[in-house]
Amino acid sequence: MRQSFRFIGRSTPRMDGVAKVTGREIYASDIYLPDMLYARVLKSPYPHARVKHIDVSGAERLGAVVVTYRDVPDVVYCPRLVSTPEATYKDWRVLTGKPLYVGDPIAAVAAESEELAQRALEAIEVEFEVLEPSFDPLESMRPGKPLLHERIRYMGEEVEVENNIACTMEIEQGDVERGFEEADVVLEREYRTNRRYHCQLEPKTAVVRPEPGGGVTIWTTTQSIHNTRLLIHEIFGIPVGKINVVKTALGGSFGSSIQTNIVVPIAVALALKARKPVRLAYTREEDLHEHCAYQMIFRLKLGARRDGRLTAGSLEAILDIGAHQIQAYPLLGCLVGWWVSLYKLPNLRYVGKAVYTNKVPSCAMRGYGNPQITWAVESLMDELAEELGLDPLEFKLLNHVGLGDLFWGQGPTVKSIIKSSGVEELVRRGAKLIGWDKRPKPGAQRGRYRRGIGFGRGFHTSSAGAPVPGTVVDYTGAMLKVNEDGTLDYITAMMDCGGGTLTAHAKIIAEEIGVPLECVNIVRADTQTTLYDVCTHASRGVYAGGAAALQVAREVKRKLLELAARVLDAYPHALKIRPDEKRGQGVIYVEGVEGREITIGELASMARHKNWGTIAAVASVRQGSCPPHFTAYFVEVEVDTETGKVRPVRVVAGADVGRVINPKLAEGQIHGGFAMGWSMALLEDTPYDPRSGDLLNKGFITDYKIPTAGDLPSLEDFQVFFVETEEPTGPFGAKGLGEGALNPVAGAIANAIYNAIGVRFYELPITPDKILKALKGGERR
Amino acid sequence: MKIRFKLNGREIEAEVEPNTLLLNLLREHLHLTGAKYGCGIGECGACTVLLDGEPILSCLTLAVEVDGREVTTIEGLARDGELHPLQRAFLEEGAVQCGFCTPGMILTAKALLDENPNPSEDEIREYLKGNLCRCTGYVNIVKAVKRAAEEMRG
Amino acid sequence: MSLWINRIDTHILPINFQYHAPETLEEALKLLAEYGDEAKILSGGTDLLVKMKQRLIEPRHIISLRNLTELRGISEVEGGIHIGAATKLREIERSQIIAERLPLLHEAVKAIGSIQIRNMGTIGGNLCNASPAADSAVALMTLGAELHAQSIEGERIIPIEDFFKGPGVTALKPVELLTAIRIPPPPENYGWAFMKIGRTSLDIATVNAAVLLTLRGGRIDLCRIALGAVAPTPVRAVRAEEHLRGREPTPELIQEASELVVEDISPITDVRGTAEYRVEASKALVRDALKLSIERAGGGGR
Ligand SMILES: Cc1cc2nc3c(=O)[nH]c(=O)nc-3n(C[C@H](O)[C@H](O)[C@H](O)COP(=O)(O)OP(=O)(O)OC[C@H]3O[C@@H](n4cnc5c(N)ncnc54)[C@H](O)[C@@H]3O)c2cc1C
Ligand code: FES
Ligand code: FES
Repeated sequence: MRQSFRFIGRSTPRMDGVAKVTGREIYASDIYLPDMLYARVLKSPYPHARVKHIDVSGAERLGAVVVTYRDVPDVVYCPRLVSTPEATYKDWRVLTGKPLYVGDPIAAVAAESEELAQRALEAIEVEFEVLEPSFDPLESMRPGKPLLHERIRYMGEEVEVENNIACTMEIEQGDVERGFEEADVVLEREYRTNRRYHCQLEPKTAVVRPEPGGGVTIWTTTQSIHNTRLLIHEIFGIPVGKINVVKTALGGSFGSSIQTNIVVPIAVALALKARKPVRLAYTREEDLHEHCAYQMIFRLKLGARRDGRLTAGSLEAILDIGAHQIQAYPLLGCLVGWWVSLYKLPNLRYVGKAVYTNKVPSCAMRGYGNPQITWAVESLMDELAEELGLDPLEFKLLNHVGLGDLFWGQGPTVKSIIKSSGVEELVRRGAKLIGWDKRPKPGAQRGRYRRGIGFGRGFHTSSAGAPVPGTVVDYTGAMLKVNEDGTLDYITAMMDCGGGTLTAHAKIIAEEIGVPLECVNIVRADTQTTLYDVCTHASRGVYAGGAAALQVAREVKRKLLELAARVLDAYPHALKIRPDEKRGQGVIYVEGVEGREITIGELASMARHKNWGTIAAVASVRQGSCPPHFTAYFVEVEVDTETGKVRPVRVVAGADVGRVINPKLAEGQIHGGFAMGWSMALLEDTPYDPRSGDLLNKGFITDYKIPTAGDLPSLEDFQVFFVETEEPTGPFGAKGLGEGALNPVAGAIANAIYNAIGVRFYELPITPDKILKALKGGERR
Repeated sequence: MKIRFKLNGREIEAEVEPNTLLLNLLREHLHLTGAKYGCGIGECGACTVLLDGEPILSCLTLAVEVDGREVTTIEGLARDGELHPLQRAFLEEGAVQCGFCTPGMILTAKALLDENPNPSEDEIREYLKGNLCRCTGYVNIVKAVKRAAEEMRG
Repeated sequence: MSLWINRIDTHILPINFQYHAPETLEEALKLLAEYGDEAKILSGGTDLLVKMKQRLIEPRHIISLRNLTELRGISEVEGGIHIGAATKLREIERSQIIAERLPLLHEAVKAIGSIQIRNMGTIGGNLCNASPAADSAVALMTLGAELHAQSIEGERIIPIEDFFKGPGVTALKPVELLTAIRIPPPPENYGWAFMKIGRTSLDIATVNAAVLLTLRGGRIDLCRIALGAVAPTPVRAVRAEEHLRGREPTPELIQEASELVVEDISPITDVRGTAEYRVEASKALVRDALKLSIERAGGGGR
């Protein structure tokens, strides 16, 4: 039954790999231009204040070019352009006279060296009127609390903000009260997540060169070159055609550059004023003051009958979004989508509120709220199963949203039917591999070191595609042209954040046409030479971006066969193409008739000499759904009850990503997802110091720990398997993976800790301190 | 101040200030951008280079201090266009994702294999713990180092 | 209000200073005498440069130890083992002498930072930086190390117990240089342990502990316990030591001793851990370290 493929399903090295292992890859932060100025940003030292007076003469005396909030365009914008106007609230300015968090940019300087720029920065004098800050969303919402934003913009109008509530969403289906009445067991818990930081290895950077004629060229850390371009147009009014954003490699991102990072408009403002190239590279400390993940408080309630059927659920979610909206409103929608697409709830109620606080603005971070809600749901389902006396695996399988069910994908506006699912097999195979049947009884152990096994499952959408337009922009453009030697230039605006997205596209093209992989040349492109692509996010790189690659490949193949038919005097549909590794290109041949063949290079040359024109294709592709890819994690941990330290003992991770395009790179996503989930569960947080209003770690990663090679399970204790399904809408049956690889991890770990010590934790991270306190406070069952 | 040192096998001379950091000398003045800034305070290892064969952090090293010594950056690892076995293994094992940690990671691993041609998995993990990677969870990196070690032992 | 947010730029070293690389110790001491407070010694720089980048100190003069080979090296001397202050941590870790004679120090040094940090950092820097969490400090405290300090006035020897005065503060005068660490020969058949808890495997200690003890006739004889990151300086757990001395090491005794640790520590709550956690972790570390030390000293004690 299985089709045999040449490239799909085989591990091949990534195409940008040689550049990366030799240090020749160019990231935005590696761009240094002749005559370039170095920029530094003056950041608010107060969490909430108003600038009364700013004196930049000291900086100017040092020879620096300075811009302040008074010099930038008076435009209120939203830095993320993924949603349509109906789902976009605007509350940002390039620089501000009313800072809303410690680190909020007020002014910026550019000078000939970074040292001089730093000195100029220190020479700026500012007088502030200090305003009352709020660091807690519940407090922020209290009537009478000072407002961060009095008015924000929506669909071209000003709207008032009440009680610091940025936006809300409510959804009700069925009869929730009745549903809970029908339940035999109802559990209600409050969960609080941590406020994580992406800690992508490359801090945010923008290099901007003003061009003759009023344009700008931009190199920046971005997941979307086209959205960066459109935003700069929106803010500065530069004609779109004169703004060129160049693709560079990206040193990790995890969602932190879906929006255009603040460094970009600031560097543009400076470059326009200085009329020289400007480089604004954030330090790690500044980067930690630029973005973080959404911190959430959930009140989650689920009811089930004795037979294990869920009857109703309610979720109240409060999102602590920090000082600005990046995508709070779409997130409220996605959050309910993630929630109801895990388990079937015949009756449900959802109330979501996004609240402003005087903290670093939050944005998507790998999973866009899904890891947060999945942790809560997987924890509560585990607890509920125990109350019902059911095996959590069976309980979850019984209720899970699977094949043929309605899937809410990217929220209530994006619903589609699930057409491929390996959930059952993921769970059964994983359970066998970890030895689920032999797991201990929760809280039954008495020794110092206690082991436990936990299970968590989850999913993520592949893209934000849908059968109807909805409120999310999701399409990708691609171009493919055949060169005269038989190689192909593949031109796309899509970014590779490290997942190997573009290598997957190349494999799709090579497979479809029938050329050696090396023939596909991924062109270093920019916004002026590519079609629009929305963004590399939402695990859409392979599924949605790959679909565009497939479409242009098909079109090019059709044209190749048509021309070859003329030359070979055969019918196009009787021709085949095979990759000829020796000749380093594809060969078009007539099956069964020996010698009747021509290489693609020969054909392309002939097309040139005979003036047939370039063999090429262009496409802009929108997927009609966003199928879930599924994952299941089984994690064994060991808790040291004297130090509270938790050690990973064993991990079994399974994924249904549709057809696997590149096994090694796909496994890599799981490995990375586990590492991130491990520290989400146990380690990461960015607490604030209420006295200074700043991050407690002041931005130093000395005190933002992520796991090292020494903290994770050994090779033989980390097992990854794939359950291959065929997604009918995906290129070669493929779906996504990046985010599903993370989503269930924290839940699985929390359940494992419970299994080991019999204590449940409702707040992340589960630090050694909390574990010891809980153990001391008597072992709660 | 004038300094002379060996960089990737070549004797070079540079004019630096007392407060010039080796990382910035390499990246901005010598145009070798393989060593990365990831934190500037010693925590991430992205700026790792080899000083007389030993991995050190160029973000915490004054350029003047390498006077008379030998510095190897990732750009100096491949010889005559031939990738080092570690570089090949990183490619083949899928140990590279975003690649921002890769130059530092490979140089540290090289120092490890130079001093210990047959490291255990624990030794590899211990040796690499000063090089943070946010993408890979280190699994394929550890595999790559093992594979390169095997290959280099022949 | 954040005082640092606009002052820190970790891309660069935004401080101007004069750089000196004396060729001899004498020259170095002269420079120190001349510049005193305005100068800072640069050994490996892993603490100094970080602090300068964080704008915690802004020295006008930097005196590098890079040419002073006499401050480097490990040797066995009459009074025990001599380690030059500017000896790299990595060299100590690799030293046969240290591994065999002072395995406790070997382990403590191995626990410091990463390979890169240990290739750069020195033992003298670890001590002179005077972090309450310095890993080598607790080990050297139980080993009874003596610190040799020199100025143009001459040399003096400071017992390590008297060296640490507070976070970042030592008994050294601004004109003094730490030249060497001398560790007396440890007693016969001693047991030892070094333990450390951090948030990850690359971390400054949330708590660290070292133990050195001997047994005589099945009873604890000599006993030294030191803890780090639980007081303004590394501290000895004197009360616990007293309680153990002369007694048979039973699990109950170890438990009692570990409880007594709280009498000598005064932990604070910070980003790395709460005070309560540090108390509990100190007890656990001391229990573990005692058990292991007793075992290594040939005692049965489980
Ligand atoms: C990422 C990272 C991780 C770390 N992890 C650890 C850890 O796990 N455990 C730990 O204990 N430390 C750790 N450290 C701290 C540091 O690396 C060690 O303390 C190291 O030993 C310092 O030595 P150095 O030679 O680099 O000191 P330097 O930075 O050169 O000097 C430190 C201080 O001592 C002074 N000084 C140095 N030598 C002398 C001398 N001979 N006489 C007088 N004064 C002198 C300097 O002026 C300076 O004030 C870490 C640091 C970093 C950046
Ligand atoms: S940049 Fe040097 S260690 Fe992070
Ligand atoms: S590959 Fe991205 S940080 Fe390592």
